Amino acid sequence: SNMKLILIFSALFGAALCLETFVGHQVLRIKTRNEEQLKKLQFLETLEHLQLDFWLNPSISALPVDVRIPAHSLQAVKVFLESHGIEYSILIEDLQVVLNREKQDMVTSQQLERSSSTFNYGTYHSLASIYQELDSLASEFSNIVSKLQIGESYENRPLYVLKFSTGGRNRPAIWLDAGIHSREWVTQASAMWIARKIASDYGNDPSITSLLNKVDVFLLPVANPDGYEFTHTTNRMWRKTRSKNSGSLCIGVDPNRNWDAGFGGPGASSNPCSDSYHGPRANSEVEVESVVNFIKNHGNVLAFLTLHSYSQLLMYPYGYKCTPPADYAELNALGEAAASSIQSLYGTTYQVGSICSTIYQASGGSIDWSYDYGIKYSFAFELRDTGRYGFLLPASQIIPTAEETWLGLKTIMEYVRDNPY
Amino acid sequence: MTELPPTHSQATRAAALAAAYIRYRHGSPGRGLVLRAVHRARRQDIDGVGHKYHLELVLEDIFGKDSTVNCTAEVLYHLGNKISAPDVQFTIEGELKNTDEADNICYNRIKSLKKELEAENIPDSFGNVSPEMEPIRVLAWVASGYVVWQNSTENTKYQLAQIKHVKQVKRSDEYLEFDYTILLHENVSQEIIPWQMTVLWHPQHGVEVTQNSPQPKHALD
Repeated sequence: SNMKLILIFSALFGAALCLETFVGHQVLRIKTRNEEQLKKLQFLETLEHLQLDFWLNPSISALPVDVRIPAHSLQAVKVFLESHGIEYSILIEDLQVVLNREKQDMVTSQQLERSSSTFNYGTYHSLASIYQELDSLASEFSNIVSKLQIGESYENRPLYVLKFSTGGRNRPAIWLDAGIHSREWVTQASAMWIARKIASDYGNDPSITSLLNKVDVFLLPVANPDGYEFTHTTNRMWRKTRSKNSGSLCIGVDPNRNWDAGFGGPGASSNPCSDSYHGPRANSEVEVESVVNFIKNHGNVLAFLTLHSYSQLLMYPYGYKCTPPADYAELNALGEAAASSIQSLYGTTYQVGSICSTIYQASGGSIDWSYDYGIKYSFAFELRDTGRYGFLLPASQIIPTAEETWLGLKTIMEYVRDNPY
Repeated sequence: MTELPPTHSQATRAAALAAAYIRYRHGSPGRGLVLRAVHRARRQDIDGVGHKYHLELVLEDIFGKDSTVNCTAEVLYHLGNKISAPDVQFTIEGELKNTDEADNICYNRIKSLKKELEAENIPDSFGNVSPEMEPIRVLAWVASGYVVWQNSTENTKYQLAQIKHVKQVKRSDEYLEFDYTILLHENVSQEIIPWQMTVLWHPQHGVEVTQNSPQPKHALD
């Protein structure tokens, strides 16, 4: 019959491509009652011609045994089990059906990814996919969101900023960036969720509505696109930019040691091969220079907030020196309030302090520059977790991380709105 | 004795080291102890000897989400140029949950594999760890506690970032042996350091690192 021919051809075809087919394979769950029954199963294991694939091997009689049985052995195994009074149930009737469904799900989900109206905020995305979603956001919330390009990366990728504004001319502004260190994937992912959150909350949430009625927000979700691309294609642990260093085979500068704040001082390396290499001079990295120029040209930025991972810390200046900033008391209190907001959602605890006392002395950092430039409310966040997954935070934690981080950011933004200077 | 704020970098580094050491001494594929909080930290400068940190810590077992355990630890970083591991003494309050059954199940499962286990990138780029690899991952994490302890100074804070590669080594005795290449993340310099370690494990004899060495980084990455 045709059906049989199709089966034979697909089996041959599959075999030719070294693909296995699991048509008619069943997965049984076997429950042994005692040692004797267990020994029978262990005996079964030795019969290679049955081609049994134990998903859970027989080890102790208290534990179930799961085994995949090819169609040709099914009858024999069931007769064997029944004749020895060994209980079993069918976990999977036909494995191929399950596999086909799974494949279909993956194809569908890939198709959904490509369609811009269903960007999944709970998963990690390629740079292209993120950039596509920025356009979607700007289009969907065109009354308050617009996309700006503030420069280009070393490898000529655009640096895109989303502007959230309800009008006015050069209103006071809040700056937020993510992903300056490319391996810190939860930051770019959280920034995307936060972008959608700000846009959709306007007109619905009284606090955000009043915030955007007074203040603009500028969000740079991928501050280091070259690095981000590299973490996807080549080295998941890449941190720096991808600029060439003259006289060295090593690539890249640590963009958070490249700002003009105690540049070249302790806590930054002069070795191009180091992950904390400060670069040949301050602002040598176009990714850093573009932000500096934007902020200087804007002239009215009141807060500078930057996202990193991991460690669960909320820090204020200074990093390049271990003396407290003039506004230490206010920044510490605001930081504690923000950490408290973060904790209120899922119990995630953040430690608050200056960069120097909390992690290390580190020169050339962004919030040191912004603070010394006159932007009083300068904070750096280190998001989840505390080391269990580190940079490799599972996607299931993206949205919870974004949600709690947003509460912390909101606390700071509301304070800035109410305390202009 | 100087009282340190628990959030101070010196306190958190010493605490991370103590936790790594405790994890190694008490860990197994069925028990992964992680630092939950630092309650108190004091530093004592001992002339001619080094710096000693007195810590009050809270640990938790990754397998018992809300079961925390208090402990006190003393970490002594030696002065001078000789490279020797810091001394760590600790006391755990109360008893740790018994993990014999979980360890035995894990041991038997691996023992009964037809081919020697081999895998890479655990977790993968997206943080995924398959259920079969979870015990292998916990074992690496426990063993890395030894490497972290042996190589820590007051100016370092190491975490296990990823298992690049693991291969089971066939043995004729009852021990399980694994050859790991791991990536350590050093939090102060921010470097990612590849490290090789050979790990022995048996449920009754605990975890042992028999060999370990840093690996060269690829300069052209």
